[in-house]
Amino acid sequence: MAMKVTLKIWDWPLRLFHWLLVLAVVGAYVTGKLGGSLTDWHGRLGGLVLGLLIFRLIWGVIGTTHARFLNFFPSFSRLAAYFKGDWQGAGHNPLGALAIIAKLTVLLLLVGTGLFANDDIGFEGPLFHWVNKGLSDKLSGWHSWLVNLMLGLVVLHVSAIIFYQWVKKTNLVLPMLTGKKQLPDTLAARSIGPVSPLRFVVALLVAILVVWGVWSIEFADYLTSLISKVMT
Amino acid sequence: MRLRRALGLILAILTTVATAGSVEDQIRFRQSAYSFMGWNTAKIKNQAVDHPESYNKDQVIAAANAISAVANSNLLDLYTPGTDQGTGWKPSHLKADYFQKQDEVKELNAKFIKEANELQAVAATGDAAAVKTQFGKLGAACKSCHDLIRVRD
Repeated sequence: MAMKVTLKIWDWPLRLFHWLLVLAVVGAYVTGKLGGSLTDWHGRLGGLVLGLLIFRLIWGVIGTTHARFLNFFPSFSRLAAYFKGDWQGAGHNPLGALAIIAKLTVLLLLVGTGLFANDDIGFEGPLFHWVNKGLSDKLSGWHSWLVNLMLGLVVLHVSAIIFYQWVKKTNLVLPMLTGKKQLPDTLAARSIGPVSPLRFVVALLVAILVVWGVWSIEFADYLTSLISKVMT
Repeated sequence: MRLRRALGLILAILTTVATAGSVEDQIRFRQSAYSFMGWNTAKIKNQAVDHPESYNKDQVIAAANAISAVANSNLLDLYTPGTDQGTGWKPSHLKADYFQKQDEVKELNAKFIKEANELQAVAATGDAAAVKTQFGKLGAACKSCHDLIRVRD
């Protein structure tokens, strides 16, 4: 019987990213469905999702061990080993990694199409004016179609968590909250090192700059309206 | 069966021509109406929501009057059977099952008219914040119908 050891595997920026993404995506879904005056909030939440995705992509290169894409990339050999039951590791397993890449891709496509979208009522994405109306309409159609794909992946994600809880008796939610996971000591895995504040700030700043850049005209307009409100 | 369908179609086409013009005309009128409304909703969105500092009471009143007039022009007359196919300024975006959803369509149309009339009334007061709120309600009414009957690109 292998002894269990408690190891830190998910760093705090990764966990913060995960739960903020949950909130932003749920919020974007609800506001997108309800429409009306909430449509503007749908756009803002889309901006938050964009920022979070940019942050995650950078963190996947400069973050701690199990946050890095190269360390969990579902290569063919890793997947083959996993299906043979030979895979061992502390972070994402290859199948889970595949699901993560699918989710990140679909969310990037959702945000990417949303930036150019319009709803023929009163909403225009921040980059709407970069394309003609016909293309924007097409991208808007893809945007709403991609929602189905995202819902499917969310259902898969939650089902997998329930499956692990009931069948494999493994709680996946708690580690995503605390960062700590119980693992057999035969794995000889180690806890992740501390988060570098400099790297975190760099990833955060780049994410903010990208979102700001995309929304710059709107942002500038917002600032002027805010200033004029304060002045009067 | 096929004959009955064909007769039904011919009858539908004849009725159409008599009440609202040819299929192409109806689709064209529809598309023109929504496009014209879009010009007006864009003005209200711009002045009441995005740039409240630019709010111009008279322009908003004019826009709300126009939207209300279009909403009250019996747009549903332009949706006779067969108008899910065909091309006006561009191909029709009407879902084929529109004709099986008449109860919902009538309900949503009534809601749309109600919100448009309310927007007209609110615009007349010049209360920008109230116009913003009411514009949101009108937008929600537009969306509920788009979701029900419009084919997405």
